[in-house]
Amino acid sequence: MPQLLITDEARAFVGVDVPLGTGIVSRREFQRWAAALDDWNPLYFDDEFAREYGYREAVAPALFIGCVTRSPVALGSLRPDGLPAQPSSGMVPLPYTPRYMAGGDVWEFLASAYDGDRITASRRIVALEQKEGRSGPFVIITGRTSYVNQDNVTIALCTDTILARK
Amino acid sequence: MFQFSAAVSNPHRIHYDRRWAIETEGYPDIVVQGHMQAALLARAVTDWAGPRGRLVRFAMQNRGAAFADEALRFEGVVSAVSEAEGETVVELDLVAMKEDGTVLGPGTATVTIRDRGAHEGVDKWG
Repeated sequence: MPQLLITDEARAFVGVDVPLGTGIVSRREFQRWAAALDDWNPLYFDDEFAREYGYREAVAPALFIGCVTRSPVALGSLRPDGLPAQPSSGMVPLPYTPRYMAGGDVWEFLASAYDGDRITASRRIVALEQKEGRSGPFVIITGRTSYVNQDNVTIALCTDTILARK
Repeated sequence: MFQFSAAVSNPHRIHYDRRWAIETEGYPDIVVQGHMQAALLARAVTDWAGPRGRLVRFAMQNRGAAFADEALRFEGVVSAVSEAEGETVVELDLVAMKEDGTVLGPGTATVTIRDRGAHEGVDKWG
């Protein structure tokens, strides 16, 4: 019988919403994000242009929403490689497969985000699945994060997969 | 790349410290952030769609790493077109790759494109 990699403790995380934090959408921050991609789309920079196309004002780039709720991290808490010593919340403890690799994201964008919007993110593990690979067994973690604004409107949903290996 | 890490508060050293990336982690150079690859692929879609287009779904799988100074290509092919409520719904198959054709990530996107004039006076997109 193959080793069971998904512990009862890990299984208890499935289906439980974990708050990831709240953050305010800032025009300066989303414009900085766009500028780092050399993306000068006037929808993100020009209120009048954005209004012409049905937006309330300059709108945040869709994928920007993913970083709005990240909290500042204390420098002293970082490992030598720069990653936080504490794993981010919303993760699941898998003691036998500690090496995580992001598999990909599926985003659904349901509404627009603007300067000043207050976004609350929460994540739930929707599935844990043990698989057999060429280099041994591994676990596929499927998570789903929702981004909801101050009016309780869901702005975006992101389903992510993480491969956890030995 | 440094500006992107700063913009998303990503402190991971492999994205900005060349010596660390090469000598400690064994990469050929600093590593392009996975989220930056995705954001660039999404940008290719929104550039193509224009201001009447709206990205409503975007997916990308992570298949490979890219490194500083490598040229990347972002391509898409329309896989389906339909009409719904005064909008054209376009499905795209996407790929991010290196110039030698190495695939960094396949993806898909759905874009809705408002018919000309349909948005007049309507703030449907909130």
